[in-house]
Amino acid sequence: MRNSQPGPPVSSIVERLPATDSAAPLVGVFAALRPDLLRFAHWLARDRAIAEDIVQEALLRAWRSREALQDLGAARPWLLTIVRREHARLYERKRLELVSLDDVLETQAAPRYAEADGDLFTLRHAIMRLPLEYREPLLLQVFGGFSTEEIARELALSTTAVLTRLFRARNKLRVICGMPSANDAAAPESLT
Amino acid sequence: MICEQAQLEIGADPRASSRELDEHLRSCPACASFSAQMRALDADIRRALDSPPPTAAAAVRVQKPKAAWREWALAASVLLATLAVLGLWLLRPTDTLAHEVAEHVEKEPQSWTSTHESAESIDKALRGSGVKLDINSDKVTFAASCWFRGQYVPHFVVQTAHGPAQLIILRNMMVAGRRTFHEAGMSGVIVPAEYGSIAVLAHGGAAGVDAMAGEMQQDVHWLADAR
Repeated sequence: MRNSQPGPPVSSIVERLPATDSAAPLVGVFAALRPDLLRFAHWLARDRAIAEDIVQEALLRAWRSREALQDLGAARPWLLTIVRREHARLYERKRLELVSLDDVLETQAAPRYAEADGDLFTLRHAIMRLPLEYREPLLLQVFGGFSTEEIARELALSTTAVLTRLFRARNKLRVICGMPSANDAAAPESLT
Repeated sequence: MICEQAQLEIGADPRASSRELDEHLRSCPACASFSAQMRALDADIRRALDSPPPTAAAAVRVQKPKAAWREWALAASVLLATLAVLGLWLLRPTDTLAHEVAEHVEKEPQSWTSTHESAESIDKALRGSGVKLDINSDKVTFAASCWFRGQYVPHFVVQTAHGPAQLIILRNMMVAGRRTFHEAGMSGVIVPAEYGSIAVLAHGGAAGVDAMAGEMQQDVHWLADAR
C-alpha cells in the first residue's frame, strides 16, 4: 500500500519536498536552515558523510511530523533537536567510538591556541576531540542557544549534571588552549 | 556564594548572570578574572563553531561497521601470501638435480656466447649418450660432453625462436614429473623422458623455457642402447 505522505527524498529532501502552497514556507525554512543543521550534525558526528545522512533523515522526520511545529520561528531549535536525536539513534545503533592515539598525540603536539596568531585552529580541533558527553551539551548551548534547563530535558539529565558537563567541557578546552585548569572540584560528580 | 559555585556557573555558561553571581564577582578578583577568561573563550568557541569542523585531523571517528570487502581483501591477502610461499617452495631447486644442473650451466658461461659449433663436435657430444638430436646443426651453437653425476652427458646450447636454450640430456636420471625452477637468474625445467630426463634452461621467464622444453622433447630421440 502506498503511503499517502509524500515519498522520502533521496538526494536532497529540501529540493524534493512538494511545493504546495501550504508547505512552501516550511520547505523554505528547511532550505534556509539546512546548512546550519548540517554544520551542527557535522560537529556532533565529526564525519561529513554521516552528518549528511543524519540531516536527510532528520528533515524527513521533521516533514512527517511538521504539524507539531506551530510556529515557524521556532523551527531552528526544533530541527536541531531532531538532528540531535537522529544522531543519538545512530550513536546507539553503531556503538561509536574510537580514539586514535596518533590523533591524541597530534593534539598534544599542536601549537598552543594562544600562540596561533588569532586563528582558531587548535580550538576547533579541541572541540572535535571533546567526548560526546561534553561536546553535545556544549553544542546545544552555544550552537543551538538552548538553556541549561532545555538541555537537561533534551538529554534526560539533571540541571546540575548539565552544568557540570558544560563546566568540564570548557575547562578541557581551557587546558588545551594553554590556560590553567579551573578548579574541577567546582563540578560535582553527580551526573544523574 | 563561594568561589567553587561561582566558577561552576561561569564555566557552565560564561554569559550567565544573577544577582548573587554578580555580587561575588565584584568582591572576588580571582573569579572576576576567571569570568573574563571564560567569556573570551566562549566567544572563540562561537567563532570556532561558525564553520564546519576540521576534517583532515579528525581525532575521533565514528566506528563504522567493517566493510565486507575488507574481510575479503584480508582473506585474499592471506591466500595470496600462502600461494606465494607455496609457489616459492615449488619453484625452489628442491632436488639437487635441478640445483646441480643450474650450477653446471653457471660454470660454463662461455656456452651462452658461443656462436658456432661444428657437426663433428656435436657428434662427439652425442657419442655414447644414447640419444640423437633431430635439430639442424646450424642451430646448435655449443656442444660438449660434460661430466655430471658420475657420467658424461650431452650438453648443448640451441638457438630457438625464444632465444638460446641450454639443453642437458640426463640419461638414467629419472624424475617423477615435470619440475620448474629458477636459479642464478635462469629459469629451468626438467622433464621426464624415456630413459632419463631432459633439462632446459634459459634466461628469462618460465613461459619461454616451457616452450623450449616442448621443442626439445620432440627433437631428442632416445636410442635403443640408451637403456
